Amino acid sequence: MTQISRRDFLKLTRNGILYLSGLLATGGLLRFLSYAPTAEQKTEFDLGSADQYPLGSRTSIPEIPALLIHAESGFTALSLTCTHLGCTLEPNETGFACPCHNSAFDSDGNVTHGPAVKPLQVLRIEITDDRNIKVFTA
Amino acid sequence: MRPSFFHHLHPPTIPADQARWRHTLGAGGTAVFLMLILGVTGILEMFYYIPTPEEAALSVQTITYHVPFGGFIRNLHYWSAQILLIVSAIHLLRVVFTAAYSHPRRFNYLLGLALFVLSILLDFTGYILRWDVDICYPLLTGTNLIKTIPFIGDFFHRLAIGGGEACSTGLLRMYVWHIFGLTLPIIILGIWHAFRVRRDGGIAVPPPQARTDNARISRNELVRREVLAMFIVGIALILLSSSVPAPIAPAMDSTPAAIREAASQSAKAPWFFLWVQQMLKWGDPFIFGIVIPFGILILVAIIPYIFPKPADSDIGTWFPKSNRLAQITMGLVSLIVILLTLLANAN
Repeated sequence: MTQISRRDFLKLTRNGILYLSGLLATGGLLRFLSYAPTAEQKTEFDLGSADQYPLGSRTSIPEIPALLIHAESGFTALSLTCTHLGCTLEPNETGFACPCHNSAFDSDGNVTHGPAVKPLQVLRIEITDDRNIKVFTA
Repeated sequence: MRPSFFHHLHPPTIPADQARWRHTLGAGGTAVFLMLILGVTGILEMFYYIPTPEEAALSVQTITYHVPFGGFIRNLHYWSAQILLIVSAIHLLRVVFTAAYSHPRRFNYLLGLALFVLSILLDFTGYILRWDVDICYPLLTGTNLIKTIPFIGDFFHRLAIGGGEACSTGLLRMYVWHIFGLTLPIIILGIWHAFRVRRDGGIAVPPPQARTDNARISRNELVRREVLAMFIVGIALILLSSSVPAPIAPAMDSTPAAIREAASQSAKAPWFFLWVQQMLKWGDPFIFGIVIPFGILILVAIIPYIFPKPADSDIGTWFPKSNRLAQITMGLVSLIVILLTLLANAN
């Protein structure tokens, strides 16, 4: 191993410390900026009494946004958030269309036209003992 | 005559070739002038703009409809920003088509490109600050696009809007990015860019022995031409701003349902991102919205590094033979972006 002069050693040490503190400061700054200050998003929605939604009804719940379907088999809630980049779908004759990038879904939530590839999310539903419907988005 | 401060910002004399309109198109200087207007009008808007989700759009309405000359100031800010992007693009095309990026100006080319990207981000964040019904989907899709980046997407998403759902949160971050986080770097890089122009020997022209015209002009003449250019651009801006108002839309009710209701009426990206929106219709958002746009940016950035060095006598002449490949690359990139924009506008 070659000898390193005292001057070079001190220079190396100085530069090393400078770069290291720069790196640490940058890391700290990025951590500082990446904190998410906003409150948790609402993930639970109370839709009121199940009797408001008669058999065969399809009710749009813009607040979520979702479609509450009451079929023979029971209640299902279909998310109306496009699985591509998150715009809200608009109902049409064949199902739903996305205004942002032209994705389309049939009335069961399956993709009929890209760019979306994933079917619409089926949201979890709970019917409480007093027949209140609760929809969960997470 | 003792030179004034403004004269002192210029070299005593420069080759006449460097200051010909048909050579520079005046694009770089116009960009500086527009940035000055943006700074002044932007600061004026800050006297009334309120960066909270409830009051932002209303304060923009106050500026536009109530404050004396407020609408005019806002129009100046808007039009300067839009024209800045066009002028910057022309500047970039000029530099590539005249082989002006060649060594020793390669680094300054990268600085210029960084300025262009910062200008686009400033235009986008400025658009978002309207916080009215038109901005929701561009903000939502833009920030969801960031999330599609593997591993670091969520981190950058929080950096951009502070987490949460785009249309109900994120305004404060957009505000700080717009007036500080992007503006400070663009000022620093802009000064550096101008300094490097001079350090690298002024605007690119062939070396003295290859020049046909060795005439020089004084700094007085240079300043006179700059003032003339500013005057013309200034008049054009005033005419534009007093006849065509900047876009504005109704404030959004801040409940999620109302935001979605209103936003679905306008799902179009701002004009400078229409080409990306068009590509997003084709498939995977990460590929079409991140990889391809950044790929194009990197391709443009490495033009000075990958193509053969243009001949010395060709530097600063229009469409020289020795940098054909660079011209074709840049020409194709511009053509694709323009075609995609037209396509997006058509449907």
